[in-house]
Amino acid sequence: MSGSMELIYLVGFPFAAAFLCYLAGRRHKIVRDRLLQLSVIGEMGLFGLAALSYARTGALSFFLEDFCMQGIYLKMDGFRLLYGGVAAFMWMMTGIFSREYFGHYRNRNRYYFFYLLTLGATMGVFLSGDLYTTFLFFEIMSLTSYVWVVHDEKPAAMKAGEIYLAIAVIGGLVMLMGLFLLYDTAGTLRMSELHEAVSCVPLTDRWRIYGAGCCLLFGFGAKAGMFPLHVWLPKAHPVAPAPASALLSGILTKTGVFGVLVVSAEMFRYDVRWGKLVLFLGVVTMFGGAFLALFSVDLKRTLACSSMSQIGFILVGAGMMELLGEKGALAVRGTILHMVNHSMIKLVLFMAAGVVYQNLHALNINEIQGFGKRKPLLKGIFLAGALSIGGIPGFSGYVSKTLLHESIVEYTAELAVLKEPALWIRGVEWLFLLTGGMTLAYMTKLFVAVFLEEHPDRQKEYDEKRPYMNRESTFALLVPALFLLAMGLLPYKLMNGAADLSQAFLHGETPAHGVHYFVLANLKGAMISVIIGVLVYFGFIRRFLMGKDEKGRMICLDLWPKWLDLEELIYRPVLQKAAVTVAGTVCSLVDRLYAVKELLKGLFGLAAFLSRFCDYLMDNILVFFRSTTHRNRTEQHVYLIGSKVSRTLGMVLDYFVKNIWNRTIGRKNPVERSFVVTFAEWEEMFRRTNRLISVSLSFGLMLAAIGLGLTLVYLLWW
Amino acid sequence: MTVTFLLGTGILLPVLSGFFLLLNQGRIKNRRMKCTGVFLIMAVTAAAVAALLFQGDCELVLWKLTDTLEICMRIDDLTRLFAGMTMAAWVLGGVFSFAYMKHEEQEDRYFGFYLIVMGVLVALDHAGNLITLYLFFEMMTLTSLPLVLHSLSHEAVMAGLKYLFYSVAGAFLALFGIFYLYANRARAAFCPGGYLPSLDSYTGSGGMTLFVVLLMIIGFGTKAGMFPMHGWLPTAHPVAPAPASAVLSGIITKSGVLAIIRIIFYTVGPELVRGTWVQYTWMILALLTVFMGSMMAYKEKLLKKRLAYSTVSQVAYILFGLSVLNESGMMGALSHFVFHSVVKNGLFLAAGAVIYKTGRKTVGELGGIGKEMPVTMWCFTLASITLVGIPPTSGFISKWYLAMGSLGAGTGFFTWLGPVILLLSAMLTAGYLLPVSIKAFFPGSDYDYEALQKKEPNLLMTIPMVLYAAAALLLGMFPGALMGFLQNLAAGLF
Repeated sequence: MSGSMELIYLVGFPFAAAFLCYLAGRRHKIVRDRLLQLSVIGEMGLFGLAALSYARTGALSFFLEDFCMQGIYLKMDGFRLLYGGVAAFMWMMTGIFSREYFGHYRNRNRYYFFYLLTLGATMGVFLSGDLYTTFLFFEIMSLTSYVWVVHDEKPAAMKAGEIYLAIAVIGGLVMLMGLFLLYDTAGTLRMSELHEAVSCVPLTDRWRIYGAGCCLLFGFGAKAGMFPLHVWLPKAHPVAPAPASALLSGILTKTGVFGVLVVSAEMFRYDVRWGKLVLFLGVVTMFGGAFLALFSVDLKRTLACSSMSQIGFILVGAGMMELLGEKGALAVRGTILHMVNHSMIKLVLFMAAGVVYQNLHALNINEIQGFGKRKPLLKGIFLAGALSIGGIPGFSGYVSKTLLHESIVEYTAELAVLKEPALWIRGVEWLFLLTGGMTLAYMTKLFVAVFLEEHPDRQKEYDEKRPYMNRESTFALLVPALFLLAMGLLPYKLMNGAADLSQAFLHGETPAHGVHYFVLANLKGAMISVIIGVLVYFGFIRRFLMGKDEKGRMICLDLWPKWLDLEELIYRPVLQKAAVTVAGTVCSLVDRLYAVKELLKGLFGLAAFLSRFCDYLMDNILVFFRSTTHRNRTEQHVYLIGSKVSRTLGMVLDYFVKNIWNRTIGRKNPVERSFVVTFAEWEEMFRRTNRLISVSLSFGLMLAAIGLGLTLVYLLWW
Repeated sequence: MTVTFLLGTGILLPVLSGFFLLLNQGRIKNRRMKCTGVFLIMAVTAAAVAALLFQGDCELVLWKLTDTLEICMRIDDLTRLFAGMTMAAWVLGGVFSFAYMKHEEQEDRYFGFYLIVMGVLVALDHAGNLITLYLFFEMMTLTSLPLVLHSLSHEAVMAGLKYLFYSVAGAFLALFGIFYLYANRARAAFCPGGYLPSLDSYTGSGGMTLFVVLLMIIGFGTKAGMFPMHGWLPTAHPVAPAPASAVLSGIITKSGVLAIIRIIFYTVGPELVRGTWVQYTWMILALLTVFMGSMMAYKEKLLKKRLAYSTVSQVAYILFGLSVLNESGMMGALSHFVFHSVVKNGLFLAAGAVIYKTGRKTVGELGGIGKEMPVTMWCFTLASITLVGIPPTSGFISKWYLAMGSLGAGTGFFTWLGPVILLLSAMLTAGYLLPVSIKAFFPGSDYDYEALQKKEPNLLMTIPMVLYAAAALLLGMFPGALMGFLQNLAAGLF
């Protein structure tokens, strides 16, 4: 055990607190609730201490030898400081919010226990200095967060939990395979040594590094919600309790992103091929998530799909960082800042959704329509999140999106200089802007429905719900919302500061001439997105995704309510009416997913059949012999009658015994039995012995024949 | 002298008291006194063996059957590992039995044989040459048979016979090998790294030697449940009383592993096998067993049978680790021996506790059981996670070493295939164990909490389970001492 103890306290404290809260909760619920809030605040405090000591010394590291064999290695640098801080902050806010939200839930003790365990594990992931430690905490985190997803134990939650756990386990194992390969090839898992070790790998073994990288990308990408492993995300987030959704979406997905960034920056530093792969996956995730979100009518589901889309933005940044190589400062800064922004935004938005849910126990936007109409505070908080995620100047999301956009523009310019085809990168740029517009459109859809329109029947009831959240919850919502505003209004101080602090992690450096966020050239991108957003909202959502119900009220997607449960089936009818061209691609996608499922089922069946075959092989061989060469003879029941001779002989003897013997010599103890039976038995025994001899003889002959045959073969062969 | 005395105590005390118990079945009316007595005997035996293990390496010829056949005992690191694990599992299983056997009949017979097998296992673990090994191996088969057919139902008797036939067939394959090796100068006591001369020196019969080695691997592999001779295992485990299944699965299957290690690494020598078709066949059989066991467990509905199939798969991990023939693989195999023993004992005991308290045997009936028996199911869950190999539990450590061993073995295609199969199997393991816990702890929102009754078993049952679960976790978190010991052991073999 060596190094700064602050780091291990940061990781260990939540684990200890989890047990403490659990024990307290068995005795007293109120004490437990307060203790939980104290724990998360305490964790934030500990983090503050660690930050201070980081500021003093410049770098912290901690190594615990032999723990779980290779030991755990934690360290603190700028990025980890930033993201550890975000994690602690998010847990603090959701922890404060939880007390009201979970007021009427069952099994709270269990939830809080795993809530704190996951905090410790997540902290461990972000502070980890080698991939081994990352993996260790990553697995703990995946398992413990499962309990959140299934917390209310409804069938939908259990089903979502199944997918969540399956993806987590499979992702974890594939990642482990990647670690095996990497460790075997490069000989180290320390992040700081990785780049050097990988560049020493001979070219012939380079494919192993790529194999390891793909495995790791699979594992981390699964957690990040990267296409095509995003399937758990839109299912698990809506069914989890709101504070848990905020964390799942805001921070757990980021652990996956963290892994992808480490792999990209250390293993494949400035590798163009790798960059293109990540960029491609990022673009698909980005666009696909936004597209799903447009069609969703469930508040939390929309937010979940939006998370997927924003993760796509971050991955695009990671891809650009690789492509731009040493000139990738903008991409680096954009990636990191967008991570932070997205965490904060989703914290605000999911907790706002939680406020809606704890009052109405519904999330369908047609049901909750108008809930926020006369609740200015909630409206303001939600608006801050929505505008920020939409990339409106003045809010934090704008800054990071601008940086990402600029990095794409920069690469376009670079390709032009190199005279390479740049059409595809123009395509990426336009998809980027289009997705930005779609983001704005779906957030507008939510905002209009929940906060601007009125509910036709229950508006009065909604307005009278007061207080709709208590003071703690208000605090938990308001602080991060104000934070978003502050970051957006003071980008040069706060955002640039955060980027300067953390960019060394991805080997970025402060650009020579800083980006001016509020000049026309940079505002242009945001403007285009806004225009697209308006077009999508009015030209697409209002026209195709909204209709009138029987009372003549405008509602979202009310035309197809029965499809809403089966998400695989949602899109087809909608899309076939909306846009045939897009429908083609997406439907084939859905079909392909089916095909994969069927294929897996088939393979599974085959494997089961073969296994069953192997399982019974020896038994079957034995059964075969038992039923052929070594079967038990089914003996017919033998009546002891005997042949004519034995019967006659017996009768004669019987007569003799009965009439002569018993009257003379054997008078004292006369013989009572019949000799007919005795003779018959003797005869039967004799016959059986004969048969046995003949069988044995034939068997012996058979063996002898085989022996002769073998001899013959031997003679002929040799 | 001390060694002889301690060894004598370790072997004879349990065997003789076992016979005493068998001869006086039903005569000891005071159950508490009987259990205390059995416990004391086990404790004294375990203490004697523990003391023995600190005696330093030595060899001891007990007596000579003929001029060339001698019964020879031996203490080395491998003995320490196996004997230590056996004693721990036996005492904990015994303690669990005191509670569990209340609902079975003929418990005197059970405890009698339980003690006898304990003594035989002590002897087996200390066996110093092939003949001694074979002798006690057979004895173990015969004396453990009554544990399998304890309930004497038709099913149990048939399962017992199957166990007997498979074991005897396997042992005969091995015996043939022993004859052959004896005819080829393998008469000395075990020696780390093996002592047979290299293949070239067998003029014209090198192929035969290899074939014999394979036969011995398959023969002793029968006990370890290796394909194609694994059939007895999923039949015999479910019918035995739970604590008996636990030790059968946790310890007795491992004696096959011990025998294979003694053959390959202490007699034949890994160099003789390396790179030959025997090594590849061995690997294929082991990997096939790994995958097949997991797959069958995944399809199985009866909890104890599912665990038995899981044993088939997991013990094959160990055999695979041995088959790669390098230090890393050896460490992986030996550590997996320890961890799997711990975990599988724990799982079977938990399954036994559930059967004892509720009578539920299939996986489908276990909904909400975690609310009724939280401690039991927590132990079950921790053990499950360990078996899947999720860090920081111990299963992860052994998986790491196994994969590293395989990747470093230079066996061509198998270099890759090994880790992939191990991970596929881990995935299936998650698929067949975690849903049990999920059902147990998340019975669904319509679960009737009013009708909930706590059914936690008494301390005699919970203490062994909790100890196993704790060991599964702690050995993973702090494996330093154990792995150091194993490294030392493995380094001497190559």
